[in-house]
Amino acid sequence: MQLHSIRLCAYVVAALTMVLSCHAAGAAEIRRGLGPEPDSLHIHQAQGLAAVNLLRDMREGLITFDADGELVPGQAASWQELDGGKRYRFQLRAEARWSNGDPVIAEDFVWAWRRAFTPETAAATAGLLKDVKNADRILKGEVSVETLGIVAVEPGVLDILLNEPAPWILEILAHPVSFPLHREAVDDPLTAPVNGAYMITEWTPRASIRLERNPAYHATGTVQAEKIEYFPIEEPAAELSRYRAGELDITETIPAGRFSWLEENLPGDLRVYPYLGTFWLGFNFHHPALGFSGELRTALSLAVNREILVKTVLGAGELPAWSIVPPGITGYQPSMMAPSLMSQEEREAEAVRLFKQSGFGRHEPLLLELRFNTSNVHRRVAVAVSAMWKQVLGVNTQLVNEEWKVFVNNRKMGVITEVFRGGWIADYADPSSFLDLFMSGSGMNNTFYQNTDFDMLMKSAALTGGATRMDLLRQAEARLMKDMPVIPLYYYVSRHLVRPRITGFRENVRDVHLSRYLGVILENP
Amino acid sequence: MRQEGLLRHATTRLLGLVPTLLILITIAFFLIRMAPGGPFDGEKVLPPEIRANLDANYHLDEPLLQQYFRYLGQIITGDFGPSFQYKDWTVNELIAQGFPVSATIGGLAMLLAFVLGTLIGTLAALRQNSAVDYSVMGVAMLGISIPNFVVAPLLILVVAVYAGWLPAGGWDWSWQRMVLPVITLALPVIAYIARLTRGSMIEVLHSNYIRTARAKGLPELLVIRRHALKPAILPVISYMGPATAALITGSVVIERIYSIPGLGSYFVQGALNRDYTLVMGVVVFYGVVIVVLNFIVDLLYAWLNPRIRYDVT
Repeated sequence: MQLHSIRLCAYVVAALTMVLSCHAAGAAEIRRGLGPEPDSLHIHQAQGLAAVNLLRDMREGLITFDADGELVPGQAASWQELDGGKRYRFQLRAEARWSNGDPVIAEDFVWAWRRAFTPETAAATAGLLKDVKNADRILKGEVSVETLGIVAVEPGVLDILLNEPAPWILEILAHPVSFPLHREAVDDPLTAPVNGAYMITEWTPRASIRLERNPAYHATGTVQAEKIEYFPIEEPAAELSRYRAGELDITETIPAGRFSWLEENLPGDLRVYPYLGTFWLGFNFHHPALGFSGELRTALSLAVNREILVKTVLGAGELPAWSIVPPGITGYQPSMMAPSLMSQEEREAEAVRLFKQSGFGRHEPLLLELRFNTSNVHRRVAVAVSAMWKQVLGVNTQLVNEEWKVFVNNRKMGVITEVFRGGWIADYADPSSFLDLFMSGSGMNNTFYQNTDFDMLMKSAALTGGATRMDLLRQAEARLMKDMPVIPLYYYVSRHLVRPRITGFRENVRDVHLSRYLGVILENP
Repeated sequence: MRQEGLLRHATTRLLGLVPTLLILITIAFFLIRMAPGGPFDGEKVLPPEIRANLDANYHLDEPLLQQYFRYLGQIITGDFGPSFQYKDWTVNELIAQGFPVSATIGGLAMLLAFVLGTLIGTLAALRQNSAVDYSVMGVAMLGISIPNFVVAPLLILVVAVYAGWLPAGGWDWSWQRMVLPVITLALPVIAYIARLTRGSMIEVLHSNYIRTARAKGLPELLVIRRHALKPAILPVISYMGPATAALITGSVVIERIYSIPGLGSYFVQGALNRDYTLVMGVVVFYGVVIVVLNFIVDLLYAWLNPRIRYDVT
């Protein structure tokens, strides 16, 4: 009964607001598409991008991002690198406050981090903090959670200790898993005190999430939009319709296959920018032919015409990939495959030569299986690649389409896979985020590639820093491009529609766009 | 005498619910567990220790049979457990939020379909084999054959994007956001009901008692309303039980295209994500709704058709 009357009230209120809001142009309110429904608004449970983006609006770590996606001080005012990169000392901002007025202290970080490593919390993303001292041993249950490498020196001073130097840890400090927690109401995302630019006021699952400016936030004076409303819209086509109908200011993505239409009809709104991710096809090294012959793998790679792939098959601004690590990481120049500078004719001639050299397909055409998870884009790529292989090398391909969980499982087991769809999006802007995948024994090495030289280069890189480290990583990547455990096909791009009246939305390779930098130009002030 | 018969019938039917649901739960439970992959499999492979913590938290480390009996014990108390995918919500909360949305849209669509469908069907039957009949039934045929994933985007494009009369999607309990989904959902059902009504109405109109009624000199409208309509909509009523169950528990297509937070997507999302508790919760809930609605249909039937009342005399 009660529910009924509540709903009736909701009807009336909603109808009224609809009518009223039609003309009162939401002065300082921005409506953003979110993609899927966030999996959790708890910093230790959130895994998906939607949840991480939302949490970055509501909460802040020691470090955060500026409008260009670069790392800048967040709750920390400054920091020093000590002990040759194995210790960082952070000075917290004196004005850092929780939304209930309490100061943010070093203990809040220590408490939250220990909570992340408690088995009962079962924080899925705790692995991101693997480089923190004793993190791995705590997970294995060898030492207690109190030994974790995070120490509150003073209420305003925090030390973070690492096993080995790991400069990328600074970016992890901008990830929700490393955020502080206020000890009150930890488990209720609607009432828990937050330390970010916005507070959540309403959450209707799969309909909307409303945020309001947090007056206690240290930089609240610079926050322009009073309110942010996020709409979880799973279907990109539905998101586009709602954008076109004027119900959204920023979309999370654009539907596949609509790029050229948008370029023509909404050129001022379309924002496409390189993104730190690479799409590739992986080879299973357990497969007798694929694991055995580097010539065969390289031939299959060179036979793919990437220009055609990105222009006609994908056509949403993606860039042809010749390396595993995408361009855009400061201080790192990816090791491109040698033939990246050839013309496609030369590449194809080289592919044919290598293929002959490998000896496969001499007596009967080689038959390969190309496995991908159900998706329109993946299907189109697979069809195009198999056609190119057929045309250039005479290789027959059988396409196998699997549901996501089945696919992921098969890929992980590596028993029936041959060639499979793969790819990676950087956890942090560092080449190691990509290259670590290919270390022997890495749980995510779906190719089962094993090379001692590569492992050695990666290990020595981990012991150095600065330019030397980047150089070693570059050599490691060059080794990969020679052995070709995967065929890089294209670098991902981020795609948004942004209304021209929205300010502060700047494209960046991390594709992070904190709402605190966004503003609205009022049409009729 | 009749009252008692009805009561006994009702009790038997309600008791039959228990084994039906038990079978349903058992099949669904083991079926979803047989599917490869689990709730925590994804692009990133979790470190084994973290994976073990997660499994322990959700009791996935126990033998399957033990999990099954744990689950049975749990749902007897009405607790569907926490969702694997939407970690901040329990399955009970998700159903409590999704069902009113789906029920509103589905209920309105059913109402619209019933009123329009019987009206169109009757009209066609009265003008059997005339131009009216052919055109109305032709449109109805079109309604059945055009799938709603074609109708919905077209409606959005014309009504929301070009004309700007209604919102393109989303949900806030305002009537504006209900119009398009309700119409989309109702269209094929209108067509189906119209066809059912037309068929049985033609049959009824040819029966002796209608001829008698007409012979008595009753006005045609009264003949239809008092004598023909009730028996003619019997097939519609028996169709409406399962159809209503299907409509009010949500349609995944409609929900995705209009971004509506209903129950239908949980079915598909739950299954794809291997969100065991969510899938089970929705299956059990759907099962109960179907059984209950079929039961209501039976009662309605008895009321409409004296020949099958449940008295033994």
